[in-house]
Amino acid sequence: MNAKRLTALAAVTALALGVAACGGDDEGGEGGAGKTLNVLIGANTQYPDEFQAWQKDISAKFKAATGAEVKFETFASANDELTKIQTSVVSGSGPDVYAVGTTFTPTAYSTGAFVKMGDEEWQKIGGKEKFNPATLGISGPDEQNQVGIPWVSRPFVMAYNTDLLKAAGIEKPATTWDELTAHAKQLTKGDQYGLAIAYKDNFDPWKFVWGMSTQAGNPLVDGKTAKLQDPAVQKAYQTYFGWLASDKVVDPAAVGWTNPQAVAAFAKGKTGYFLLTTTTATNSLDQGAVKGKWKFALLPTVPPGATSRPANGVEAASILSGDNLLIADYSKNKDLALEYVKLVTDQDAQLDYYKKFGNLPANAAALQTLASDPQLEPVTEAAKKSVATPFTGAWADIQLALTNVAVQTLPELTKGPINTGQLDSRIADAQKAAQSSLDRAK
Amino acid sequence: MATLAPPEQKTPTERVRRKGVTEQQRPLWLLTPGGALMTVVIVLPLILALWISMIDLDQYTLRRWVEAPFIGLDNYVESFSSGLLNSIWISVSFAVISTIATVPIGIAAALVTQNKYRGRGLVRAVFLIPYVLPSFVVASVWRTMLQPDGIVNAWLAKVGIDGGLWLSGPTSYWTLILVEIWAAWPFIYLMSLAALQSVDHEVHEASAVDGAPWWPKLRRVILPYLRGPVLLACLLATLNHINNFTLPFVLFGAPAPEDVNVMPMIVYVTSFQSLRFGLSAAMAVLSLVLIAIPLFIYLRAVRLDVHEEGGRK
Repeated sequence: MNAKRLTALAAVTALALGVAACGGDDEGGEGGAGKTLNVLIGANTQYPDEFQAWQKDISAKFKAATGAEVKFETFASANDELTKIQTSVVSGSGPDVYAVGTTFTPTAYSTGAFVKMGDEEWQKIGGKEKFNPATLGISGPDEQNQVGIPWVSRPFVMAYNTDLLKAAGIEKPATTWDELTAHAKQLTKGDQYGLAIAYKDNFDPWKFVWGMSTQAGNPLVDGKTAKLQDPAVQKAYQTYFGWLASDKVVDPAAVGWTNPQAVAAFAKGKTGYFLLTTTTATNSLDQGAVKGKWKFALLPTVPPGATSRPANGVEAASILSGDNLLIADYSKNKDLALEYVKLVTDQDAQLDYYKKFGNLPANAAALQTLASDPQLEPVTEAAKKSVATPFTGAWADIQLALTNVAVQTLPELTKGPINTGQLDSRIADAQKAAQSSLDRAK
Repeated sequence: MATLAPPEQKTPTERVRRKGVTEQQRPLWLLTPGGALMTVVIVLPLILALWISMIDLDQYTLRRWVEAPFIGLDNYVESFSSGLLNSIWISVSFAVISTIATVPIGIAAALVTQNKYRGRGLVRAVFLIPYVLPSFVVASVWRTMLQPDGIVNAWLAKVGIDGGLWLSGPTSYWTLILVEIWAAWPFIYLMSLAALQSVDHEVHEASAVDGAPWWPKLRRVILPYLRGPVLLACLLATLNHINNFTLPFVLFGAPAPEDVNVMPMIVYVTSFQSLRFGLSAAMAVLSLVLIAIPLFIYLRAVRLDVHEEGGRK
């Protein structure tokens, strides 16, 4: 699935962003009455009641517009979703519309089972230009071959404790990774720590490594070549591990944290920065001791060890994170599906969805209306500065390999500075896995 | 058949045979519904798994899976270079250790609840708690307790022990065994208890008349009754341990630490994260074969038959 699994909640929320499918098909010349559009969408355990209400609301609007029914089918985990996609792809029947995480889009594309969006299709959903251009970055391998229709964004940002930073004499949040490390050292004293990081999360670690490496000019994949054995990658891992192993600016318990646990730790108000979070964490933070004392900020975009980005570095503030809608090419209700997509990607529906569930609009106009909210400004900026992870069917394996390096290194983090030789050999293993997956990519 | 028989013998032979065949077949016919179900639920999927293990099925070929290239044994060859052997070793050793550790606990618990006393019902009920809790719940609770700053380490710290990391690195292997033992011993307990209940009163009375002290009575008289059921329980328990996916998955997540990369985990990751369905099918088939061989030999060797054992009295 795409982005990290923030918490069980966030993950589900993220998945829940799923799509509803249905669509009237006025353009098709047939009425939608009597037809049913099936939409596969992730269950939302964070706001189950609101989610039900939202489904009802969308169904009603869809029926009014097209005369057809929408039937939502929910899945509980990324695994359920994948199983559903597999069986549907094999049998050629199943949901008409799927909501999938952005980083899963390349995998879905590689099955060849989803509708490629041509000019006509884009026109039917209101035009490609209605979307925030950055969100289209992971819709397909190139402009002519796009299958993913951006639905919602969950760009990654960091949260910081305004009181703690002020007390430490830090005027504004860090913009380079080195500055962040320096701030973290300043903030760490007694039972107070500089950073909250979810080291044991199954999705977080690779995002740090990809981000820092991309900023240093190495996006990890170059055509059919994996570039994991690279100084930029090694530096990224060393920085990421170093915060706990040598800088000691992270609570040692963080070695066992998943993202929700890191959210909870930051919410206690004893940590300066919480790296890698999204707007879906807002409620959790506002329920903690940190309420009213925290703000979002862009993650640093200058690679570790540098004071400015190198010429070939990319200003990657976040992975391109969120959900895309896919229309199954076996669907017999494609026009209805497009109609449904249009409905849920229009400005009003997108803002409504944001208010209910905290996921940013992919719709450019809707996103613009949020930019005036000072609390959200860094997040909307991150949405615009999000960079797509490499579009290859091998990406699932590559992120797994990157995460595996972190998983296997965890036990050493509490024992002082990490062993570079061992790290290198783990990166070499990851390179091998990544390259072999790229070799198989078609 | 009839045409092969000499003409003069035809009629009587046929009659006899027919009668015999019909009588023999009657129970077989009664088994048909079950057999059909077995075919659909077990045999067909197994054949399909064998087929998938020999084709290059991944996300690129999934859509036209019937046309996926046939690659013979390539997936099997690749399995061995993908860490399957290591996973088999981890799985088997973990399962055997868990079984060995749960047997004395289970038998002891059964003995403790064998004789009547006040509150025995309650004790029996409490003993079953680990068994009736869903694996997911057990794993979640243990995962919480075994956090670096969790309750287990907090207690250990009070007596001056640094608990360290339970869920990462080499310790994770022992954590898995510990939690598995905690969750699985009541199975041995149940089987032992059932066996103990089948011991006749006469046996107890005879021991009493002979004045046998408790230990020789237990060792020479009672425990032999347990041999069959407990061996069967060991077999089933070992297979359950080997096949346990929920526990390691929830405890450690995927990718798992190398030390707990058990077979179900590696098959899961290969299938659902790497999307190599062919390769993972080959791994699953290999695992099946590798477990079936020693299992078969073992079954033959011990000639496991609970009824026979039970009938020995």
